[in-house]
Amino acid sequence: MRALYIARRFGVFLLIVWLAASLNFFLPRLSGQDPVRTKLLAEAQLGGYVQAGIEDMVKEYNQKFGLDKPLWRQYISYLGDTARLDFNYSISNYPRTVRDLIAEALPWTIGLLGMTTLLSFIIGTLLGALLAWPGAPRWMRYVMPPLWALHAIPFFLLGLILMYLLAFQWQLLPIFGGYSPGAVPGFNFRFILDVLAHATLPALSIILVATGGWALGMRGMMVTTMGEDYVTFAEAKGLKASTIFLRYCVRNAILPQTTALALALGQILSGAVLVEVIFGYPGIGALLFEAIRENDHFLIQGIVFTVIVALGLTTFLLDILYPWLDPRISYQRT
Amino acid sequence: MSNAPSRRTVLASAASLAAISPFGLATAQPATVPREKTMILVWSGSREGRWVDYELWNPYSIGSNHQNGPNIVYEPLAFYSAFADKTYMWLAESYQFTPDFRQLTIKTRAGITWSDGVPFSAEDVAYTLNTLRDSGPKVKWGIDVRQVMKEAKATDANTVVIDFLVPSPRFFFFMTYKYDIGIYIVPKHIFEGQDWTSFKHFDLAKGWPISTGPWKVTEASLQQKVFDRRPDWWAAKAGLAPLPVVERTIWLPSVGEQALAQAMITNQVDAGFGIQPATFKTLFNGNPKIITYTGQKPPYGYVDWWPISLYLNNDVKPFDDKDVRWAVSYYIDRGILIDVGYLGASQVSSLPMPDYLPLRPYFDSVKDLLEKYNTLEFNPKKGDALLSGKGWKKDSEGYWSKDGGRIQVDIIGFGAAGPAMGPLLTEMLKRRGIESAFSMPPDFDDRFQKGQFVGSIYGHGGSINEPYGMLRLYQGQSVAVPGAHLVNFSHWKNAAFDKITDEMFAVDPNDKARMLPLFRQAMEIWIPELPDVQLVQNFHRIPWNTTYWKNWPTQDNAYVNGASWHLTYPLVLWNLKQA
Amino acid sequence: MLRYLKRNPSLAVGIGLLSVLVLFLLVGMVLIDPEDARPLSAPALRPPSWAYPFGTDRQGRDLFAAMVVGTPLTLRIGFIAGILGVVIGTILAFVAGFYRGIVDTLIRGIADIGLTVPGLLILIIIAVSVRGGLTVNQMALVVASLAWLNPTRTIRSQVLTLRERGYVEVARLSGMNGPEIIFFEMIPNLLPYLGATLVNAVSAAILASIGLEVLGLGPLEAPTLGMTLYWVNFNAAIINGWWWWWTAPIAIILIVFLGLFFMTVGLDEIANPRLRRSV
Repeated sequence: MRALYIARRFGVFLLIVWLAASLNFFLPRLSGQDPVRTKLLAEAQLGGYVQAGIEDMVKEYNQKFGLDKPLWRQYISYLGDTARLDFNYSISNYPRTVRDLIAEALPWTIGLLGMTTLLSFIIGTLLGALLAWPGAPRWMRYVMPPLWALHAIPFFLLGLILMYLLAFQWQLLPIFGGYSPGAVPGFNFRFILDVLAHATLPALSIILVATGGWALGMRGMMVTTMGEDYVTFAEAKGLKASTIFLRYCVRNAILPQTTALALALGQILSGAVLVEVIFGYPGIGALLFEAIRENDHFLIQGIVFTVIVALGLTTFLLDILYPWLDPRISYQRT
Repeated sequence: MSNAPSRRTVLASAASLAAISPFGLATAQPATVPREKTMILVWSGSREGRWVDYELWNPYSIGSNHQNGPNIVYEPLAFYSAFADKTYMWLAESYQFTPDFRQLTIKTRAGITWSDGVPFSAEDVAYTLNTLRDSGPKVKWGIDVRQVMKEAKATDANTVVIDFLVPSPRFFFFMTYKYDIGIYIVPKHIFEGQDWTSFKHFDLAKGWPISTGPWKVTEASLQQKVFDRRPDWWAAKAGLAPLPVVERTIWLPSVGEQALAQAMITNQVDAGFGIQPATFKTLFNGNPKIITYTGQKPPYGYVDWWPISLYLNNDVKPFDDKDVRWAVSYYIDRGILIDVGYLGASQVSSLPMPDYLPLRPYFDSVKDLLEKYNTLEFNPKKGDALLSGKGWKKDSEGYWSKDGGRIQVDIIGFGAAGPAMGPLLTEMLKRRGIESAFSMPPDFDDRFQKGQFVGSIYGHGGSINEPYGMLRLYQGQSVAVPGAHLVNFSHWKNAAFDKITDEMFAVDPNDKARMLPLFRQAMEIWIPELPDVQLVQNFHRIPWNTTYWKNWPTQDNAYVNGASWHLTYPLVLWNLKQA
Repeated sequence: MLRYLKRNPSLAVGIGLLSVLVLFLLVGMVLIDPEDARPLSAPALRPPSWAYPFGTDRQGRDLFAAMVVGTPLTLRIGFIAGILGVVIGTILAFVAGFYRGIVDTLIRGIADIGLTVPGLLILIIIAVSVRGGLTVNQMALVVASLAWLNPTRTIRSQVLTLRERGYVEVARLSGMNGPEIIFFEMIPNLLPYLGATLVNAVSAAILASIGLEVLGLGPLEAPTLGMTLYWVNFNAAIINGWWWWWTAPIAIILIVFLGLFFMTVGLDEIANPRLRRSV
């Protein structure tokens, strides 16, 4: 039974992957723009002189990139390449390959988002649980409203405010980038410190905003859970408050929270794109934005595909874990 | 377990290396060069803080851009500085055309060697030109060479004879390095047999890219490109140029204007790329040693060869009517464009040519025409008169209309010029009764090239020291150049003008006696027609830091245009002195 | 009504904030000339003064006028997209939840997959594909194209629950057909929930539109809140010290989101009485 469930879930995952890949293939081409042409013309314009024969050059390069073949042909080779994780060259960043570019940018985004999401989820959930608990200290009540307030605003907005205060006015932290210009990435203390310094503002923007959301959600879940019969029963039994709190209420309330986490990943990534663009942070978000502006089909495809697969994988894993967390949920059809 | 100590040791030594070298450069640089002998610049030709082309040192390969470093590695036959109106004969010692301009003989200089010891010779020049001709559309400049050149032959070690298909008096100038135009001369013994479109010419162990110049690439990575000075440079030995005082120059990729500003204020960077006028105040306040071409005063830079106008697509009605085009011109107040759009840091441009020394005689020759037809005049009344004269009337909302249709200028723009002037232009036109909107589509270049626009803010890559280039930009058809690709962005068509331009094609640009009258004839047609509306000059507002280096090419010492991305940058590098 | 508001502080705060904003807009419209929101109406880059209470921007817009003109534009995008999203979402949710079967699986599948994908990315791709710039109304449609996903999902789960309620059974037995049950029995009971979903959708739509605009993909000439921030970013207003340029739009965005958020919380409380014992 368990195997069937996992298999079905995996099947859904594969379906999502294939749908994503296909949609991904067609969307950039919808615009009808020719990325090779755009890139060559942009470069010509940089030099101020459009040299003779640029049309022929465009044709040559289109051939080289395989963009002159009929659409269905391109689609088939695209599917084959994608299966092998070969995303081709990036037109706007030639000669770098899409895979290289994503491999460079992904660690930054995973680092930033992974850390901030985890931190805000843990802190927020704990806070939310405590806030719903009548036995919690009084001062906690005053923490809530500001958290609520912050949670309602977009990440990047807080980012702008923090940038002005902390980076510009009080000059405590760097304004832009992933690391200082001229610094060479390496596993040395100096560089890591540099990276952390540059990541602080983007991370703060996300953590301060997201924590409130998780707290609110958890609080709601806790309220519902605390009203359940089994909790009343536990109280009647005379169990310790902390036991009831942790093993009865939190344990149960956290399950829908986890589902919410899976659902929210997509939104968090959207918010992160803006944060990365505003802070010039070299992650996937900034890379995708640049790819879209350059209409670089291959890069867009590669990134969107990677993101969807990553999210799909995460959702899939959470889906598998969920029944394990909550024995009440069976592996059978809902 | 046994790995742990060694890993720790490695990390520790890496950390200590990081501590001693400037801003965390912890990887292997052969020797440490002191900061005061290093010139560090930032150029925005990179991608979001990375040099994606760090392995591409063949400027003809796909994806390669000479602006990102190859410009100081490959030396040319000659350099040209528009500001000084001076040609520096370089790998070529002299050149001579036949009177009919169908043959060109170049004498290359003796005693020059490539950095791998192989002597430079006329064979390299002939090989470069012939391969360009054979490659055609596959590489940059290929078609330009193929269109006019039949064959280039090295008749001896230092002589190249080039035969042309059509008279080509401008061919040597075309090959000369100026701004972003020039032929990169490549070493035959390395490039022969390679596929120019994909050959990278990069192998640091072998010393590739090899060069006749003083700059050797010692490191190239995503984060930086490092060039070290080679002391055995032929030009220093021959006395043509001093050996650069700069011993190392590091080119960093850009993460944006703000980051550049910060880095310059903290003296981590000596030269930047062109930035917006508004940022300069912050720069000067933060670090008083920062200057520009015009010191610390507007326009904070020098005139680039790309004057900007408002193109009106002559194929779209009613812009096929010159009165309507003139009306649009009369409705625009260039003073406001400059004051508000550029915070006062710009200049007007009356013709689509830059205001350079060698072009001044041409400007002077049409002064009277420009007085009669002032391409820069702001005079709404004249505009109104022109439109009413053609039957346009203002409708109930105050917009000019005729036969149920309004005059509509949808303007597309890009880069910095677009946002600076776009919203202002639409506002000015709307106030005078012309419907207008501004956008910056992502496929701007494509649409502009294909003529899928009504109005566009763009420049003119035409003339530098003589007007043929500019005239050619407006040619609708040419018979002089076989298979010519004519840009004609404005889509203006005038057969008489085309003929005059074709005539000028075969005239020696130095022959002012024939050039001036031809130019005048062309302008007598062009100016009253006004194919596009003249606006402003384009400026390169580049910040330079005088903390470590001085003798930048400023207004008082304008020996060349100071852009690091231009092919003439080696001149700046060998002129810099320690501060 | 007022007594209820006292018991439901969130709703009160939400309504309060939005009222302040509306008041600002009403007073503003009387005080300003909408023409002043266009470029070249005032000297550029002036800090706040009596003549220009919010200062002016780089292109000579009177920022006070720009905010008064631009805020309703932003809100309009949000409302159009939000309402469209909820209407479509409700229809789809009822079709799926009430009739079940293959239609349900299909609709739920699409909604689930759609929600997995980061919405902003899809919006960016759409916005870039549209030739020429987007107008305010076109932006609303672009945002609406994804705005129905969340409402469909959440309303569907509510429909699933309601379906099993007693009165629905009774209605069915008494011979009412599907649409009648939906319209006369279920929707009235869902109203507070629909209200909360609507406010949520509007908030999300405004966020999406501002996101697109900040990236430069919005209507370039409209002085909407997002476009103003785009120009702020483009002109490096922060490090150039033109603080007034970005304080006004950020303050207004804060009020909008906070107001909408508190309203959602308040409406949630009406819909789910269990939440009533709280801070």
